[in-house]
Amino acid sequence: MSTVRIALAASRTGRGLLALWLVLPVVPLLLWAFADSWAFPALLPQDWGTRGLTEASAAGAGGALARSTLLGAAVALLATPLGAMAGRALASRQVPGSTAVLAVLLSPLVLPPFAVALGLDVLLLRLRVPATLGVVVLLVVAALPYTTITMRAAYAAHDRGFEDEARVLGATRWRTVRSVQLPLLAPALAGAAFLAFLVGWSDYIVTVLVGGGRLTTLPLLLASAASATGNDAQVAVLSLTSILPPVALLAVVGSLGRRGRR
Amino acid sequence: MALRRPASRRARATVVGAGALLLAVTGCSAPGGGPTTAPARDWDDVLTEADGQTVRLWMYGGEDKGNAYVDDVLAPAAAEQGVTLERVPIADTADAVNRVLSERQAGVTEGEVDLIWINGANFATGQQAGAWLCGWTSMLPNIEYVDPEDPLLATDFGRDVDGCEAPWHKAQYAFVYDAARVPDPPGSVEELLTWIGENPGRFTYPAPPDFTGSVFVRQVLYSVSGGVDEVPLEFSEDAYDELAPELLRTLEELEPALWREGQTYPQSLAELDQLYADGQVDFTMTYGPATLPDLVADGTFPPTTRVLLVEDGTIGNASFLAVPATSGSQAGAMVVADLALSPEQQLAKARPEVWGQYTVLDPERLPAQVQAQFAELPQSEVLPPYAELSEDADPEVEAEWVTALDEGWRRQIAAG
Repeated sequence: MSTVRIALAASRTGRGLLALWLVLPVVPLLLWAFADSWAFPALLPQDWGTRGLTEASAAGAGGALARSTLLGAAVALLATPLGAMAGRALASRQVPGSTAVLAVLLSPLVLPPFAVALGLDVLLLRLRVPATLGVVVLLVVAALPYTTITMRAAYAAHDRGFEDEARVLGATRWRTVRSVQLPLLAPALAGAAFLAFLVGWSDYIVTVLVGGGRLTTLPLLLASAASATGNDAQVAVLSLTSILPPVALLAVVGSLGRRGRR
Repeated sequence: MALRRPASRRARATVVGAGALLLAVTGCSAPGGGPTTAPARDWDDVLTEADGQTVRLWMYGGEDKGNAYVDDVLAPAAAEQGVTLERVPIADTADAVNRVLSERQAGVTEGEVDLIWINGANFATGQQAGAWLCGWTSMLPNIEYVDPEDPLLATDFGRDVDGCEAPWHKAQYAFVYDAARVPDPPGSVEELLTWIGENPGRFTYPAPPDFTGSVFVRQVLYSVSGGVDEVPLEFSEDAYDELAPELLRTLEELEPALWREGQTYPQSLAELDQLYADGQVDFTMTYGPATLPDLVADGTFPPTTRVLLVEDGTIGNASFLAVPATSGSQAGAMVVADLALSPEQQLAKARPEVWGQYTVLDPERLPAQVQAQFAELPQSEVLPPYAELSEDADPEVEAEWVTALDEGWRRQIAAG
């Protein structure tokens, strides 16, 4: 009994420390976001206010937030089903040379994104691919490793017997996917979609190079604001705007995962 | 299982097909060679073509005032001429140049970049690749207010401008100090070096190739070489071998007296500015002194911040607007560049509350009324007027010098 209690306490402490580790860096950001002036060596801002907010919204944070959300959603929407299909095929061991295929699918992880973006930019331009479409396509490729790995693991643990049973009981192929496969794999799909969303949400280099400046997303705005002095409040607001939606999404995905386990 | 084979064979065929397409597309490269020269034409003709065009101006987005100037002052004025001006904020001008080079390589004629705020190495890179539209600035009506002999505007880091970019505004390198902490400031770069030795730990500079740190190194080069006249602006190995050792020796000797004994350097001007704002060092430096009054007003810098006037003069340069050869709205871009050169726009941009950037126009060529308006611009305690600041201004050396000195610094100072 006591060992269980100790283990429980240790787990709780560990979780607490982990939360602290994640939350602490956000504290200065929160302070900066509402600091109109904060000079060394004062421990807290001397003047509180909303200068950061005003500046960030003047710089176009609202539109950038919407564009980032759309981009992340588009990448997730495309990369998740593709990753699921690749993951299922790879997990079923029916793909000849599956190791090589996996290596190709994972290669975006090891290639420097700058080189890829620069090289493929010319190709996409020559093919006359519209800039925004080019960004989405490249980011989907960049997101594929994450969705593929996640879904391959999920399919490896997935018992196809359930699907066979449903088919035997007369369910159509589509019905089996909808009523058996999707519910069983929902937590993994949500996780994969979340990772893919992050790829689109946080990208800088592909958006700026391939996007041709058509897509001013949050990372673009943040980078240009952070490259100068005296913008700390604005940078803090933009950073928080970049952090909070994924955190909220993570909470949703996490609760989905917990429900899935029950 | 056997049933699946054809599918996989089909998949393989698709992969091969895609690969062949990729090869075909990348293989037939058509990189243009020389520069594109704009055909001489009537300005009214340009205005007519520009009407209705959208011009996308790519510019460093780190300066709120600069962004606001383009959005609230320049863009509405362009709209009156029928040109829609859109600002694309970037963290680094090289991003825009890379985009243009890619578009050029791909043979695009309706590119996404119509104008770039640019100078120095970025301009040189594009010019070497023939990425700019050239020979168009003489067509601009407002170019008449610019002195064609002005060395800051005729060359850009030692490279002839050749009508490939229109002047935007001038900048002057400046040392910045806190008068409360440095009651008796040095009066020349040489005296500054002595001051650093006498006040260990109170000075540092951003590590080259940071833009501003690199200017500091060149400023010291001019000083230890016995003045700017002793440094050939054109780069040659001989000149480097003759002048660089003395410079690097001076910087090496300076190192123990720097902040943290020179064991580490700020990586960017922003970091140095932060050290200065926090009172850890007494000096900072800038290539854009116009932002100083603002930094003081919003409390980032102490109210006793002042610009150091050095008797040997500091390095000055100008920045420009370049039109990529790949732009599909070249007429519109020229109209915006001309507008930016107009006395009204230059005056608005020079107002401290707007942006406070130094004009590229020659006061003597301006109508008397505009001259008076320029003279009436409010002065700041922090910042001396441009005439005083730019007295005996030193020209920039060729971009090749910059690369060589940055590399020398890295080998001897950073690694040493």
